Amino acid sequence: MKNASIRVRLTLWYGLALALILSLFAVSLYLVMSRALREQVDASLEEAAAVAIRTLGEHRFGPFLIFEDLSQDFPEIALLDKFFQIFGPAGQVTIQSANIQSREIPLSQTAFRAALEGGVTFESVQFEKGVPIRLLSFPVRQGDQLVNILRVGTSLQSTERMLHRLLIGLYIASPVALLVSLAGGWFLAGRALRPVHVLTQTAQRIAAGDLTQRIQTPHSNDEIGQLASTFNDMIGRLEVSFRQIRQFSADASHELRTPLTITKGETELALRRPRQADDYRMVLESNLEEIDRMSRIVDELLFLSRADLGEIKLKMLPVQLDDLVREVQQQATVLGQDRHVTTVLNALEPVVVLGDDLRLRELLLNLVDNAVKYSCDGQTVTLSLQVVDQRVKLTVQDMGIGISPDEQTRIFDRFYRTDEARAHASKGSGLGLSICKWIVEVHKGTLSVHSQPKQGSVFTVFLPLSHASRPDLPQV
Amino acid sequence: MRILVVEDEPKVASFIRRALEEESYAVDVCGDGLGGLDWAQTVNYDLIILDLMLPGLPGVEVLKRARAADVKTPVLILTARSEVDQRVKGLDAGADDYLTKPFAIEELLARARALLRRAGGAPTGVLQVEDLILNPVTREVTRNGQRLDMTTKEYALLEYLMRNAGRVLTRSMITEHVWDLDFDTFTNVIDVYISYLRNKIDKGRDRSLIQTVRGSGYMMRTDA
Ligand SMILES: Nc1ncnc2c1ncn2[C@@H]1O[C@H](COP(=O)(O)OP(=O)(O)O)[C@@H](O)[C@H]1O
Ligand SMILES: [Mg+2]
Repeated sequence: MKNASIRVRLTLWYGLALALILSLFAVSLYLVMSRALREQVDASLEEAAAVAIRTLGEHRFGPFLIFEDLSQDFPEIALLDKFFQIFGPAGQVTIQSANIQSREIPLSQTAFRAALEGGVTFESVQFEKGVPIRLLSFPVRQGDQLVNILRVGTSLQSTERMLHRLLIGLYIASPVALLVSLAGGWFLAGRALRPVHVLTQTAQRIAAGDLTQRIQTPHSNDEIGQLASTFNDMIGRLEVSFRQIRQFSADASHELRTPLTITKGETELALRRPRQADDYRMVLESNLEEIDRMSRIVDELLFLSRADLGEIKLKMLPVQLDDLVREVQQQATVLGQDRHVTTVLNALEPVVVLGDDLRLRELLLNLVDNAVKYSCDGQTVTLSLQVVDQRVKLTVQDMGIGISPDEQTRIFDRFYRTDEARAHASKGSGLGLSICKWIVEVHKGTLSVHSQPKQGSVFTVFLPLSHASRPDLPQV
Repeated sequence: MRILVVEDEPKVASFIRRALEEESYAVDVCGDGLGGLDWAQTVNYDLIILDLMLPGLPGVEVLKRARAADVKTPVLILTARSEVDQRVKGLDAGADDYLTKPFAIEELLARARALLRRAGGAPTGVLQVEDLILNPVTREVTRNGQRLDMTTKEYALLEYLMRNAGRVLTRSMITEHVWDLDFDTFTNVIDVYISYLRNKIDKGRDRSLIQTVRGSGYMMRTDA
């Protein structure tokens, strides 16, 4: 039963219940029927007895009555399905109707004793090889004296036959009804379970790797419908995250493949034949560059995946952001030296935010590094830090290559780099802004970009102001 | 043999170029799809090495358009290993062979040789004109069983002449197939190299194989 399908189990339970009901019904029907029939027989016996008593009364009772006389006068007494016996007060037969023929049906002790006390007795008897008979013994009294005992009897054969037929009918009809309804139950259970079947099949296809599959939701909002739509929601979310993961690993392997191709190719080329020391040096330097690039990608990837897993613990402390901006500006000046890109401070208000000092520095550095990297030679990068509407507003502005409008949303995606950026600066992993976005979000801030191709870009960070930098509030 | 390399990553393009040049091919490098398509249509290259991940026009598109413009040059595509789909698309678009990154330099060179050979119609790879034999795999040249040492340019010129033995090759054809875009066509470099070759191959022998066709160019002689 444990392994049987729900359909089989439902049908079996249903069948069992039905079989119980059917047999209860059959038994009570039989009992009620047989009782009603017996009562009917008894009533007809009483009626016949009453008629006989009336007739006998007219003939006067006595020990010597002649049945022929009686039956001539009252033909209804000689009804075919009934017979009469009249016993004397001692219990001996005096007369009996012709249709009793030669059969001996003596008065039973119980009936006689009851008659002596004036009681009426119904009895059922069955003689060997004979038909079952119903008997009514009726005392006829004059005063206190028992004069005669009238007995009316009838064969129970037709009643029995009727009951027998009923029984046969029930024997045949009940299993047929049971079978028909089992089949119906099987069909109905199948119908009710069909959505479950469809669900299973879809789930199997999904398990085989096809996440684009969806379950056809029935229009109804019943249990199955709800299950199906819950299931679909789940698959939808799975599909999205699977696609992200697949895209991510494809991007990651592509970004790692380029430095690998370079190191492998350059090294193999150098080893093909003996070369000058300078040639080897160049190859080693270039390879070192690529190794740095790979380790940066790996570091950044590791950071992001740990961030995804929520494994990065932040130490949220008050941070003097203006100091941080000043430090980063000095670093940026060094970064831009070769290409004469200068970094200047525009506005710099003293501001304290609650945050992780290291991460905020990383955020700033990434933005400023981009600004310097994607500037053209001799241009200027401008930093500003202000409090606007009770929020900290930090901007990093450059006049460099810019970003086209439809790419402005995508640059925050992992590994996304614009073609212009690739052409302008070969160094870069495309992970910097993803990290920036994560840092800003854990600080409950926002990061946005305004840019025009070839005109430059402004990256704006809004962060919540810490109470510490508001003079009107006590310091925490 | 002149080869076009279309590859956006400068360092990758650079070592491919150096490797090919060491094998005495003339190499042009182009960093974007549209430019690559343009060059492929204007210069009659012997082989194109095409990266499929390109800024501007994707590699597969470059290939399709080049084939549509009736460029019959063999094309070797470079793909990433995971991109089976890309590879199939590339081959369907008319590429002759592919190589997945990161690849071994020797494999790149071997595939380039195979494609050039197939295009040249000499399946064994060894070129022979009378008793002059050139083996592109070992880069060995012998005449009458005697080894001849060649510089890379001399070798490239000789290979081109031998592949087209019996055909008159004009100076501009030679320029196009043996020298790259940086070559200044107004110098008499070709004549100088021909004379170097003659010194090595024909000098002191009964039959001269390299013939000057007056007014048009040079020809490698055949028996016929
Ligand atoms: N200041 C900027 N000017 C122009 N484009 C930018 C700037 N900052 C970022 N981008 C674009 O966003 C992309 C993603 O930036 P990032 O994640 O820092 O990657 P990376 O700096 O490694 O290229 C860059 O490749 C570039 O296309
Ligand atoms: Mg960056």
